[in-house]
Amino acid sequence: MTTRILATLVFLAVLAAAPAFVPPFEVRVLSLFCFWGALSLAWNILGGFAGYWSFGHTVFVGVGAFVPGVIVAKLFDGGGAELMPLLVLVGGLVSAAFAGIIAWPLLRLRGIYFAIAMLGVAQVTGELSAAIEWIGGGVGLSLPDAVPAALAPEAFFHYIFVGLLALTIGAAAWVRGARFGQGLLAIREDEDTARMLAVPTEGYKIAALVLSAFLTGLLGATYGFSLGYITTDSVFRTDFSLNMIVHALLGGIGTIAGPLLGAAVMVVLTQVVLGEMLNLHLFATGALVVAMVLLAPQGFLGLWRRKPRAQREPGP
Amino acid sequence: MTEPVLEIRGLTKRFRGLVALDHVDFTVPEGTICGLIGPNGAGKSTMFNLVTGFLPPSEGEIRFRGTPVTGWSPQQAGRSGVARAFQIARPFPGLTVRQNVRIGALFGRSGPRDVEAATDTALALLGIEDLADRPAEGLTVGHLRRLEVARALAARPVLLLADEPCAGLNPAETDAMIAALRRIRDGGVTIWLVEHDMRAVMGLCDRILVISAGRAIAEGTPGEVAANPAVIAAYLGSEEQEAHGA
Amino acid sequence: MIPLLQTLLDGLVLGGVYAFAAVGFSLIFGVLGVVNLTHGVFVVLGAYAALLLHEVVGLDPILGLPLVMAALFALGYLYQRTLIAAAVERASLVASLLVTFGVALMARNLLQIVASPDVRSIATAYSFAGLSLGPLRIDLVRAAGLLTSLVLLFGLALLLNRTAFGRAIRATAQQPVGAALSGVNVRHVHGLTFGLGGAFAGASGAVIGMMLPFTPSSEAAWTLNAFVVVTLGGVGSPQGALLGGLLLGVIATLTAQYVGPAFQNAAMFLVLVLMLLLRPQGLLGHAFAASR
Repeated sequence: MTTRILATLVFLAVLAAAPAFVPPFEVRVLSLFCFWGALSLAWNILGGFAGYWSFGHTVFVGVGAFVPGVIVAKLFDGGGAELMPLLVLVGGLVSAAFAGIIAWPLLRLRGIYFAIAMLGVAQVTGELSAAIEWIGGGVGLSLPDAVPAALAPEAFFHYIFVGLLALTIGAAAWVRGARFGQGLLAIREDEDTARMLAVPTEGYKIAALVLSAFLTGLLGATYGFSLGYITTDSVFRTDFSLNMIVHALLGGIGTIAGPLLGAAVMVVLTQVVLGEMLNLHLFATGALVVAMVLLAPQGFLGLWRRKPRAQREPGP
Repeated sequence: MTEPVLEIRGLTKRFRGLVALDHVDFTVPEGTICGLIGPNGAGKSTMFNLVTGFLPPSEGEIRFRGTPVTGWSPQQAGRSGVARAFQIARPFPGLTVRQNVRIGALFGRSGPRDVEAATDTALALLGIEDLADRPAEGLTVGHLRRLEVARALAARPVLLLADEPCAGLNPAETDAMIAALRRIRDGGVTIWLVEHDMRAVMGLCDRILVISAGRAIAEGTPGEVAANPAVIAAYLGSEEQEAHGA
Repeated sequence: MIPLLQTLLDGLVLGGVYAFAAVGFSLIFGVLGVVNLTHGVFVVLGAYAALLLHEVVGLDPILGLPLVMAALFALGYLYQRTLIAAAVERASLVASLLVTFGVALMARNLLQIVASPDVRSIATAYSFAGLSLGPLRIDLVRAAGLLTSLVLLFGLALLLNRTAFGRAIRATAQQPVGAALSGVNVRHVHGLTFGLGGAFAGASGAVIGMMLPFTPSSEAAWTLNAFVVVTLGGVGSPQGALLGGLLLGVIATLTAQYVGPAFQNAAMFLVLVLMLLLRPQGLLGHAFAASR
C-alpha cells in the first residue's frame, strides 16, 4: 500500500517537473493527459465503482467552465483574473449542486435509461447555454488571463492540471478504500442485495454523482481558463463524454490506474500518432471504442490479469 | 421467558385481490431456531419479504424486539439487525468471497468497527475461509449458499431469516449447514428459516409455523406439528397436486 | 383560439414525422433489445442521400424514397450482421450501446469531411406552396411529409401484423430460442429488422430534409428524439411510435410557441424524465413484452 502511494507521488512529481525539462508542445500533451486522466477517473467514481454509466458527463465540464465565465462577464466586466482559484472552486461547487439537483430523479433510473438520461441532460443543458442570451454560450464568453508574468501559460496550466489530477487520484483512492466505496461496489454488483445489507444506496449514489461532478466541474473550469474563450461547442462536447468512458474502458473500468492508462494511450494516439490529422480525432475515438469493445472488453488491465473478472455493467 | 425477537400479529398481504397472507400470528422467541414451512405458494417468501421490508403489509403489525416496525425499509431492517439469506443465493459476482462477506460486516450492526473480526468469524463459522480469495462467480451451489449465510451473518444480526439454506445441497453439505446454523444460534443469533428439507427442519427447530394458502394451519414443536392432521392433509394434498402436474 | 389551433396542427404534423423518424429505433429496440445510438446517423444519411438525388438527378425526395430506403436497408443489414452482432455476442447489449455510440461519432466525423459541416436543406419546387384549411394553413411540403409518414407507418404495421416476415420478427422478439427451434433464422431476422429500421430512418430523413435544416451533427438530436418518442409511446410498435411522436410534436411546438424555440428540447426532455419515472414502459407498453 505504501509503495503504491510512494509510486503515485513520484509519478506526480515527475509530471509536475516536466515544464522545466521538455518543450512547450510536450508540456501541453502532458497537461492534456492530466486533464483526460482526471476526467475519466472522476467519471469512474460513479461509472466504475457504482456501475452507473453516465453518457453525458461533459455537462459538468460545461457547467464548470460556464460558471466562472458568466461570473466574470456579469460581475467583473471581463476582469477578476486574481480570483481564478476561487472561480474554479465555484465552478466545481455549482457543478456539484447541479448534480445534486438532477440526482434525485435520474438515479432512480437504471442501466441504459440512466446512461441515456445523462446524454439528454448534457444535450439539453448545452442547448440552453447557447440559446439563453443572458448566458451567452452561443456567442462565447471570455475568461481573464490569470497566468503570472513569471510563468509560461502552458507551464502554469500544467501545474494546475497536475494538482487536480493529484486531487482526483486522492479522492478516488479514498473512496475505494472507504466504506463508501465498498457500498458503491455492492450497488454495482447487485443493488437490491445491497439495500438488504443496509447499504444506504440512495445516499451513496447521490454522493458518488455529486463528488464526481465536483471534480469534473473543477477540471472544466480550469479547462475554460486555459482556453481563455469558451463557447457551448468548446466545452459541452459529446466526445468528452465518450472519452471519459473510453479511457476507463480502455485501461480497466472500476480501477484507479485503468482510466489513467487509457488516457495515456489515447493522448499518445491522438496527439502524437494522429497529430497531423486533427479533423479525424472524432473518427479515431469512435473507431477505438468499437475496436475496444470487440477485442478486449475488459480493458488493458484485464488483458494481463490472470483471472479476469467478468465485466460488470449496468443491467438493462 | 425473555422478550420475543419478532412478533407478528394479524399479518395480511393482498396482491390485487389475491390474498397471499391472511391474518397470520407468530412469535419468534430470542435464542431459538424457528421454522416456517408449507406447500409451494403458501406465502413463505411473502412473509419474509414483509418482515424484511421488501413489501409493505396490507394489514397487521410486525414488532421487532418490542418496537413496532411495520412497513420499514430493507435498509432499516438491515441496520436494526435483521439479516436475510436469499433462497436463490445472490452474491456480488465480481467480488471475492471475502469482499462479499466484508460488505455484510461493513454495513452491519457493529458498523465499521471490528469489520475484519466479524468477517473472519463469519467465514470460519460457515467453513469457507479457504475460499476467501476466490471470486464469488463460479462457486458451487453448496459454497454459494454458505457464502450467502456468511454474508448475512457478518452483519452481526439479531435475527437471521434464512430462506431454504439447505436447498440443492447434498446430504453431507446439508449436515454441515445444520451444524453451522446451530453454531450461529449458540452464538446468540435468533434464526427463522424456511426449509423444505424435513430432516433439517425437524432436527433444528424449536418451534414451527405451518402455513398453507396464506393461512396459519398449525404451530408448535416439531413433534406437535408432525402429528397435526391439518398439516398432513396440506402436505399430502399438495403432493397430490404436484403429482398431477400442478 | 386560431393561433392555438394552428400550433396544435403544426405540432401534429411535426409529430407524425417524429413518429416516422423514431419507428426504426423502436423496432430495433423492441426486437433486438439494442439501443441504437447510430439511429440519428441513418436519419441524417437519408437526408443527405435525398439531397444528393435532388441536386444531381433532380429527383423529388418523396419519389426518391425507394432508392434511399433500399440503400439504407442494405447498410443497416450489413451493420447489424457485422458490428452489432459481434458486440452483442462478445460482450453484452450494453456494449452495443458503446459500439453504436462510437460508430455515430465516426459517421458524424466522416460526414463533416465529405459533406461539410454546413447547414443544408432540400428546396423543392413546391417548398413555398401551402394549403388552407379554413383559417388554418399547412405548408404543402409538410402535408406531403406527413402523408408519406403515415402511409409508411401504416405499411409497416401491416408488414408486422399480416405477413409471414412480420410473424417471424414478432416471434424472434418474444422468444428468440423458440423462434430458432421452429425454423426461423434468427440472425437473418435480426439483420432484416435492423435493415428495416435503417430504411425507415433513412426515409424519414429524406422527408425531414424537405421540412427542416440539417447538419452532420443533427444525428445526436434525432437519436435522442427517437429515444424520447419510444419512451413516451412504448417500444416496438408503429402505434407506440405514432402516439409518442404526436405527443412529442405537440409538446415541441407548444413550447416553441409559448415559451421559446430554444426550450423545445428541454421541455421534451423534461417529459422524458417524468415518463421514465412514472411509467417506464411507455404509454402503450412493450409490444413484445408478453413473454419477457
